[in-house]
Amino acid sequence: MIPLIDEDACTGCKKCLEVCPPQAIVLKDGKARVEEDFCEECGFCAAECPAAAICIPFEKSGD
Amino acid sequence: MAYPHVFSPGRIGSLTAKNRIKYAATESNFNTQDGFVTDREIAYLEAQARGGAGIVTTQGAYPDKGGEGKGFRGTMSISDDRFIPGLARLAKVIKDNGALAACQILHCGREGGVDLGYCLMPSVVPQRLSYFKPPREITPAEITQAVRDHVAAAKRAVAAGYDIIELSGIVGYLISTFISRYTNKRQDEYGGEAVRERCRLMVEILGGIKAEVGDKVPVGIRLCGAEILDDRGGNTLEESIESFRIAEGAGADYVSVTVGWHESSISVITRDVPMGHWLWVAEAVKKAVNVPVMMAFRLFLPDIPEKAIADGAIDFWEACRPMIADPELPRKAAEGREAEIIPCIACNLCFSRLYYHQPIMCTVRPSLGHEKEEPWGYRGFAQAPKRKRIGVVGGGPAGLQYAAVAARRGHDVFLWDTHTSLGGSILLASQIDRGEEELLRPIRYLEGECRKAGVEIGLGQECAPEMLRDRHLDVMTVATGARFKTLPAIPSLTPEQIISQGKKPGEAVLIVGGDGVGLAVAVYLLHHGAYRITLVEESGKLGRDVSPFYLWRFLKLFRERGVTLLTRAQIAKGPGKTCSISSPKGEKMIEVDDVVVALRQARDDARAVFADCAPEVYVIGDARRPRRLHNAIHEGYRSGMRI
Repeated sequence: MIPLIDEDACTGCKKCLEVCPPQAIVLKDGKARVEEDFCEECGFCAAECPAAAICIPFEKSGD
Repeated sequence: MAYPHVFSPGRIGSLTAKNRIKYAATESNFNTQDGFVTDREIAYLEAQARGGAGIVTTQGAYPDKGGEGKGFRGTMSISDDRFIPGLARLAKVIKDNGALAACQILHCGREGGVDLGYCLMPSVVPQRLSYFKPPREITPAEITQAVRDHVAAAKRAVAAGYDIIELSGIVGYLISTFISRYTNKRQDEYGGEAVRERCRLMVEILGGIKAEVGDKVPVGIRLCGAEILDDRGGNTLEESIESFRIAEGAGADYVSVTVGWHESSISVITRDVPMGHWLWVAEAVKKAVNVPVMMAFRLFLPDIPEKAIADGAIDFWEACRPMIADPELPRKAAEGREAEIIPCIACNLCFSRLYYHQPIMCTVRPSLGHEKEEPWGYRGFAQAPKRKRIGVVGGGPAGLQYAAVAARRGHDVFLWDTHTSLGGSILLASQIDRGEEELLRPIRYLEGECRKAGVEIGLGQECAPEMLRDRHLDVMTVATGARFKTLPAIPSLTPEQIISQGKKPGEAVLIVGGDGVGLAVAVYLLHHGAYRITLVEESGKLGRDVSPFYLWRFLKLFRERGVTLLTRAQIAKGPGKTCSISSPKGEKMIEVDDVVVALRQARDDARAVFADCAPEVYVIGDARRPRRLHNAIHEGYRSGMRI
């Protein structure tokens, strides 16, 4: 699952860029943006984001 | 039959499994966050059952409504009757495909509460791994409820049609935390100096389930045979073995022997641990009990469990990772097609993804999780609408995987490599450390796939564009791997010169680049001499692209050998043999005999260089962007699917 970035919450600190194994996150207009073509969906960015601006969109309900 | 013991029927309680292979419980994160089984999970386990294992186990389902037992975001639940229909569909696809269906019930204990702010433990012992939740001591009333939850879960499993119930008390899960003296300091009747006292929760759960459904289904349990927590005051080996005897006494119909906790401080399941290494633990349990004994843990090749069963060390061969990599492993082994087994390389990509709330993925099998989606070709590829002549330059993992899939789809594929061996950068990676030669197994497998599919392979061949122009290709795919960078004004060596060309640097080495390649060069050098190494990385993170299962061991080696690691560091050439390094730790001059530049760059010019070789030109793998092995294999596979 490709991570979702909340642009309002992103502070542009670049922590996610540093931990991204395929270097698939770029900073655009001061906000992190995922290059989906290169994203390997590892989730490291979401785990490391100090602003909790990145989430993994998990399938919520099967009810 | 090549493996007469593995493929002989085996008894579990009153049941007979058609062979001694058990697909062991594996979390997938394929299910919904609220615990419902998905079609993806069903397709995956259906593939496992079709592959020919005698027993197929579900992932551990959590038994409690509150989710304290839930360890992973996409774990299935067995805490309510509304989950039974999904669990029943899962049982049905397993049984319809000829395997016994085992349902595992798993309360993750110290590793639970994934959606909560805490986890439950017998006593509060602080977490050593940052991922897990802060512990809270479980109350006597909650213990009583946990026993009830497990028993109710077992009744649901029977209602859903499972043949076997399995409990899990390993690695830090609830039952194991009671059994271990490391985590159970309780003064009440659920703790105590004697292991029998600490086994009380397990005995009550096993006894409760046996009393309720024991006449209908066998009940087994996974326990830790060697905790490897000696540095933290864990159980002795004798105590661990005793816990299996106690489980047998409480009615367990089989036991599965595991090794290590997730916080153990030595390697247990990585490539540096030789295959079959832990069989002695199973053997010790086997001597202590009279019920069938099973084990997984680095039994990757069928001849190892074959011998272990023949020798009386185990009764059943359990497999998680080798069967994630290839659910058809049992059938291929039975038919003597071992070379066709997609080989697990113990990279633990599957496992590590669970902790980041991502579905499992497999480096060597891109079709994992897509077993029922036709374009992914798990059950064979449909022919491409138009047959094309495809040239591939580069016989590393990306090129080989691409060629194999493209040829399977009916294309005419030609693959060339300038080297005389296939493997690309894996030829280097396979030499850096103990066990890394296993990385060549998928290369050999892919070579076999290519040859079977009719790929024409040319080795030791110059692949200049002018030589490829008259080949009348429809498609040219460049998979030549990355290029090693050089730095202006600093004479340097490349990783290739050191690892495959035998170039010995002087004693004082500066390695530039701290991703997997730079760390690998450092590890290689430390195994080959008394080098004094300084390693500098431009970013703030070392080993960004290295699996945490391997990174800790590299960093430990660096500490032991006094390697200087500097992040956010820049270098410049100084006078003579000196280099200046500036980092947040300050500016310093060091004397170096050799500089190794372990930085890779994409072949940005590849498309232009090969432009007139074919109407369509593609660049894949590290040539497109330097990344890891699974990126190369997956990109090759997906590109092969599309062409």
